Amino acid sequence: MKKYKKFLTLFLAGVMTVSLAACSNQPNKSNETNSQGTQAKASSDSTDGDLLTASDADSKSADNDLVIAIEGSISTLDPHNVTDTNSIATTRGIYESLIEFDENQEFVGLLAESWDISEDSLTYTFNLRKGVKFQDGTYFNSAAVKANFDRLLDVDNSLSRRRAFVVTNSDGTETPRIESIETPDDYTVVFKLVNPYSVFINKMAQISIVSPAAIEQHGNDIMYNPCGTGPFIYEEWTEGDHTTMMRNEDYWGEVASVDSVTIKEVPEAGSRTAMLQTGEADFVYPMPADQIAAVENNGDITVSASASNIMRYVTLNTELEALSDVRIRQAMNYAIDKEAYIQLMYAGYAEIASSTVPSIINFYSAQTPYTYDLEKAKSLMEEAGYGDGFTLTLWGDNSTQEIKGMTFVKQQLEQIGITAEVVPMEPATVSDKIYVEREEAAVQMWYVNWSASDFSMDSSMRALLISTYAPPTSANTAFYNNSEFDDLMEQGLLTADEAEQTEIYSKAQELAWNDAPWLFLANDQVIYATKSYLSDVRVRPDGSFNFVNAVLEQ
Amino acid sequence: MGRYVLKRLLNAIPLLFAILFFVFLFIHLIPGDPARLVAGIDATKEEVALIREQLGLNKPLLTQYFEYMKGLLTFDLGDSIKGGMSVAEMIAPRFKPTIILTILSILWATLLGVVIGIVSAVKRGKILDYTGMVIAISGISIPGFWLGLILIQIFSVSLGWLPTGGITTWKSYILPSLTMGSGVMAILARFTRSAMLETMREDYIRTARAKGLREMLVIGRHAFKNSLIQVVTVLGLQIGGLLTGSVLVETVFSIPGLGRLLVDSINYRDYKVVQALLLFFAFEYVIVNLVVDVLYGVLNPKIRYN
Repeated sequence: MKKYKKFLTLFLAGVMTVSLAACSNQPNKSNETNSQGTQAKASSDSTDGDLLTASDADSKSADNDLVIAIEGSISTLDPHNVTDTNSIATTRGIYESLIEFDENQEFVGLLAESWDISEDSLTYTFNLRKGVKFQDGTYFNSAAVKANFDRLLDVDNSLSRRRAFVVTNSDGTETPRIESIETPDDYTVVFKLVNPYSVFINKMAQISIVSPAAIEQHGNDIMYNPCGTGPFIYEEWTEGDHTTMMRNEDYWGEVASVDSVTIKEVPEAGSRTAMLQTGEADFVYPMPADQIAAVENNGDITVSASASNIMRYVTLNTELEALSDVRIRQAMNYAIDKEAYIQLMYAGYAEIASSTVPSIINFYSAQTPYTYDLEKAKSLMEEAGYGDGFTLTLWGDNSTQEIKGMTFVKQQLEQIGITAEVVPMEPATVSDKIYVEREEAAVQMWYVNWSASDFSMDSSMRALLISTYAPPTSANTAFYNNSEFDDLMEQGLLTADEAEQTEIYSKAQELAWNDAPWLFLANDQVIYATKSYLSDVRVRPDGSFNFVNAVLEQ
Repeated sequence: MGRYVLKRLLNAIPLLFAILFFVFLFIHLIPGDPARLVAGIDATKEEVALIREQLGLNKPLLTQYFEYMKGLLTFDLGDSIKGGMSVAEMIAPRFKPTIILTILSILWATLLGVVIGIVSAVKRGKILDYTGMVIAISGISIPGFWLGLILIQIFSVSLGWLPTGGITTWKSYILPSLTMGSGVMAILARFTRSAMLETMREDYIRTARAKGLREMLVIGRHAFKNSLIQVVTVLGLQIGGLLTGSVLVETVFSIPGLGRLLVDSINYRDYKVVQALLLFFAFEYVIVNLVVDVLYGVLNPKIRYN
């Protein structure tokens, strides 16, 4: 017996040593970003750029087929019905819109060569590109654009993108935003709006043009038979697994370099990293910061970070007695060490929030920071008569990452005597508890994030801060009620003139910032990883990957 | 025997009805509004109401239930709320990967588990026994998630022998099925070992040995066959658990299977998909139990159903 006991101990020791060795290279599970990322940065100066540069710049791809591994899933390939960024990004290989955002979030023409907005901001004229064909051989022209909008705006089609062009009134009726769409000739489309709507141009960047013949033939089954003008032709879609598209040799612009593009759905971060290491994937998004160490030794992997449109904050219910005094809300902002927050949550890969919206949003203007100043915080609390602090609940999603953030906020607020009870819940449950009748509103503090996929100032603040958008109508859980702010936001929509919008939105941001209806935290960066033999695939600030110009070095 | 099987299948129908009723009730009662989830957090109340109507969720619960049951009779499982695919279309391609994975896992688990169990029992107290039991304990204690990631690191990244995931070739199923079967393998190893030890103590084994029968035959034909009943029981009970294990394995190895779909649709409150999946799983349980009971009859002539 004794002999075997010794053997057993040795064996177990051996097993443990082996597993520890394997562990050192072991990424953590799923999308939980670990704060022990070895790339922790010294300051918040996280500018865009490479977090890890490949040492082997001469690596070659084994084939000319691009494989992108993503965390999320593709819900549909119908560009008029897409809501999530992954599906949107995928459809952009097959479909194109009249205008699009370039890497600075500026508008550039795509299927439209130029456009013009009338003085009264009511008429938008698009001059279309000539000689463009759909992938089924039919021609792209103004009639095609009109056919697309006819389909989009038809309420019976229940397309999610329709909402941007329709106002739903409180009595349930609808008012269209577009009064008419005219096609004076084959390459001119004129949209006349009922009322000025300055973000109309942002919304147009999100509407792809589908072949009218395909719409005619397939109706809403177009999601299974995509047909657009883009540089790639749809090949196959296995729901939950992958989407594949082939190069379009008859593309109107520069024909793509890669033979095909496959978007693979890989929910586990460790698996995505492994795919990148073996070369099964050429590009991976997202790349949690704690995975970077695992790929350092590969030599042919580059990890990059860039700004995103994600705003992270905590809403403060201003209707509660304790939170109704602006001094208290400002005190809470002064009590949070934002530098420590981004180190903890994003290993430094984030920007401290410097306004009510991220810096890449149109018409952003930097505000005076709420520095980490405990003395100031405490004195403001005293002034407001709450020197002894108070207790509140802090709601949020129950993912590891969110709980970490909430716990951090709780600890920071304890420094000024505020006890925040962290209550993590499933996202659907939080949603249920927030959208209740006004009298039953129980939300006090809500740890949450927001991103406006059209990069407009309006979409970044409307549903969150305009007084009429308080629950149960929409997401203004701060119950922020500032009529001057409301007016400014409405004015912002009425003029398409950029100089005017800049002034209006600058004032609006200043008002909301100084009123501190939120604890302003950070804007995290998007981090993605690519093989060094692949160029020109990036992730846009809204989290959509852009692969139309991809080149694989062979 | 045939009549017994038929009777069992017929009895299953009211059972499935009852299960479906409870599933329907519970999933509609848990907090979370699918209309709000589809509309997005920034949608206004009116926009959400419109979507709720389009999805048919504003009708009274009982009406929704009867409409669903009516659909079931015509094999119409309804539509998913994500992108409008029909539930049947969404579920159909997911069957193959999960079923292949489950069958392979059972094969691995049974093969390895039984062999380890027999060897451990026969070589009781010796090195092989201890090794076998350590493997068994590891199989139960090591989280499937972690095991999967380690296997990927070793066999895909370092050695490059197998793919990291997906379902492209037959090789893609090796690591996932090993991972998924590890828990069942461990339990089977231990149970087989105890069953064998018990059986080998019986008098008839001593008789067989006294008869001069080769040890191999003693173990293989007599001891093992009589411990099979216990093995089959354990296996039957564990197969249900395999399905929950499949979620983790499908996530780590990016396999588009039913387990992942179930978790995703619960998160989205995609009622119709959840109902269809749970109905299928319940049916699968019924079939597995039936097969186990029939196998009893095959293994032990004394247990026969007339």
